[in-house]
Amino acid sequence: MSTWMAFLKKEWIELVRSGKFFILILISSLFGIMNPAIAKLTPWLMNTMSESLQESGIVVADMTVDAMTSWAQFYKNMPMALIIVGLMLGSIFTLEYQKGTLILALTKGLSRRKVYGAKTLICVGLWTLCFWLSYGITWLYNSYYWDNGTASSLIPSAALFWLFGVWIFLLMIFFSTVFSEVSGVLAGTGIVLLASYIGGIFPKVQPYLPTKLLESQALLTQSMELSDFSWAMAVTILLAVAAGITGMVLFDKKKI
Amino acid sequence: MNDIQQFLPLLIPLILLEFGLLAYTLWHILTHTHYRRGNRTLWIVVVMIGMQFIGPVLYFLLGKEEG
Amino acid sequence: MNMLEISHISKSFGDKKVLQDVHFTVPEHAVYGFVGQNGAGKTTTMKLILGLLPANSGSILVNGEKVSFGKNPTNRFIGYLPDVPEFYPYMTAAEYLHFCGAITGMDSKEYKKRAEELLELVGLTQEKHRVKGFSRGMKQRLGIAQALLNRPRLLICDEPTSALDPVGRKEILDILASAGEQTTVLFSTHILSDVERICDQFAFLHEGKILHQGSMDEIKNSCGESGFEIELEQEQDLNRLTKRFPGGFQKGRTHMVYGQGNAPQMESVLAWIVQEQIPLRKIEKSGLTLEALFMKVVGK
Repeated sequence: MSTWMAFLKKEWIELVRSGKFFILILISSLFGIMNPAIAKLTPWLMNTMSESLQESGIVVADMTVDAMTSWAQFYKNMPMALIIVGLMLGSIFTLEYQKGTLILALTKGLSRRKVYGAKTLICVGLWTLCFWLSYGITWLYNSYYWDNGTASSLIPSAALFWLFGVWIFLLMIFFSTVFSEVSGVLAGTGIVLLASYIGGIFPKVQPYLPTKLLESQALLTQSMELSDFSWAMAVTILLAVAAGITGMVLFDKKKI
Repeated sequence: MNDIQQFLPLLIPLILLEFGLLAYTLWHILTHTHYRRGNRTLWIVVVMIGMQFIGPVLYFLLGKEEG
Repeated sequence: MNMLEISHISKSFGDKKVLQDVHFTVPEHAVYGFVGQNGAGKTTTMKLILGLLPANSGSILVNGEKVSFGKNPTNRFIGYLPDVPEFYPYMTAAEYLHFCGAITGMDSKEYKKRAEELLELVGLTQEKHRVKGFSRGMKQRLGIAQALLNRPRLLICDEPTSALDPVGRKEILDILASAGEQTTVLFSTHILSDVERICDQFAFLHEGKILHQGSMDEIKNSCGESGFEIELEQEQDLNRLTKRFPGGFQKGRTHMVYGQGNAPQMESVLAWIVQEQIPLRKIEKSGLTLEALFMKVVGK
């Protein structure tokens, strides 16, 4: 256990000293503030522009914004946040393969599973931190300006998107044990994601696909129920666990 | 005037974060002489004109030297 | 007791046979030189010992335990220095050694003390910078420190001296020789004088096969069979020497080599020199050298 903690500590030092941790925290906060900011500023911008717009014949109806507008922005922006965290952490394994830094740790008898576990925890942990930080900041602003009560099932809806992110990270880790280059890792993850999107075209399979989770915003307006996501949730968890376990087995036999 | 005051709780942290991000990235660029790709001038330009967070993200992904 | 037993190991990458029936043993407390040209398969052999690559056939025992690919419990006996050691560039030398101590499950007090000792041994105590700015030689020295951290029973070094200047090389060899007093050392090299300097046993690897293995005693004992060399101060003395003792081969103006066969005994030449009071620069038995042996077994 303590040897695992020692490797985890190394990962943490790497995250901090490479500046990645700091940048990701800043960007997550920025994302958190941007959602209410856009919601709040849009009607004001519209108002100031309405005169010139009226001259050109466009009539601007008075916009009403509330917490829902801000939450809509949140779901629009979070895929971008996921991409950024993903890109920042995409080389967590491959960089060590390239530089050969893992060789020394492994030849000291550190088990590969501990390396795998520490890196998985760092990825999932950082994603969790970044996601819920953005969520928390948006929530605080929303309750300051408007009323979060207008949206229902806020936490379950966000948790579904978070789960989608966890799946993406486990996929990336899985592909890190297959490929030794970061391009391979990103391409592999991208292809699986694309397959899920394309699968979504067919209404029969769509409810079972992880990409279904990206519609979780519908919970806020009660246009969908949590039970509509049961299958997608189950499949995503299953796929994530499968990716995690196969990755671990492949990593045991990876030539480093 | 009333309008502006209403926006301050949003604008102040937003501006602070944007500048914090910009300052941190510029500090990083200026305290390093080697980059994985590109050179100092290129990265300063990218970070300055890069929309909000995109410039700094690009730098940390592509330009920052390992270590 | 053998620290390392390699029996009939074969390894190929695709069609390329890198190792064929490699077979050798390293006894405890030996300083073992593993000699071969670049590309002979030295690094591959070491990676097999460390369980970083799977062998096609054969078995490896470290301290009596079998090495299996992927899982590496035998590595707890081993300290390894790769040919180009790479460390986390954002750590300092001391931080890196502490990290190594912690991942091997050492007690924190103990690894801190040991790290201090080792930094002293390799001369990095004053170095407070991060590894990022280290030179090749500094990395090599940190590499030895990390390899010795948990007092391994077997220290494996892959070409530890090949990238270094003569001063750096001597330092590393001295460190290895002193390490050899406490542990078993296996190191690969293509520099034969390194082996002559510190090893007591050696094996020649050539094109994936072990061509010869032996001990340095064997080399040393072969001395005298193959003559001696003599170097005098003055040229005219050399002419007198050639007249008095024919059968030699003149190598320079004042340098004479006596080979085998009808050459005079070294003792009688010495007696003559003393008697005639000839100023002498050097006299040396030129035994079978490692280089000559290597050339012979490689067949050149």
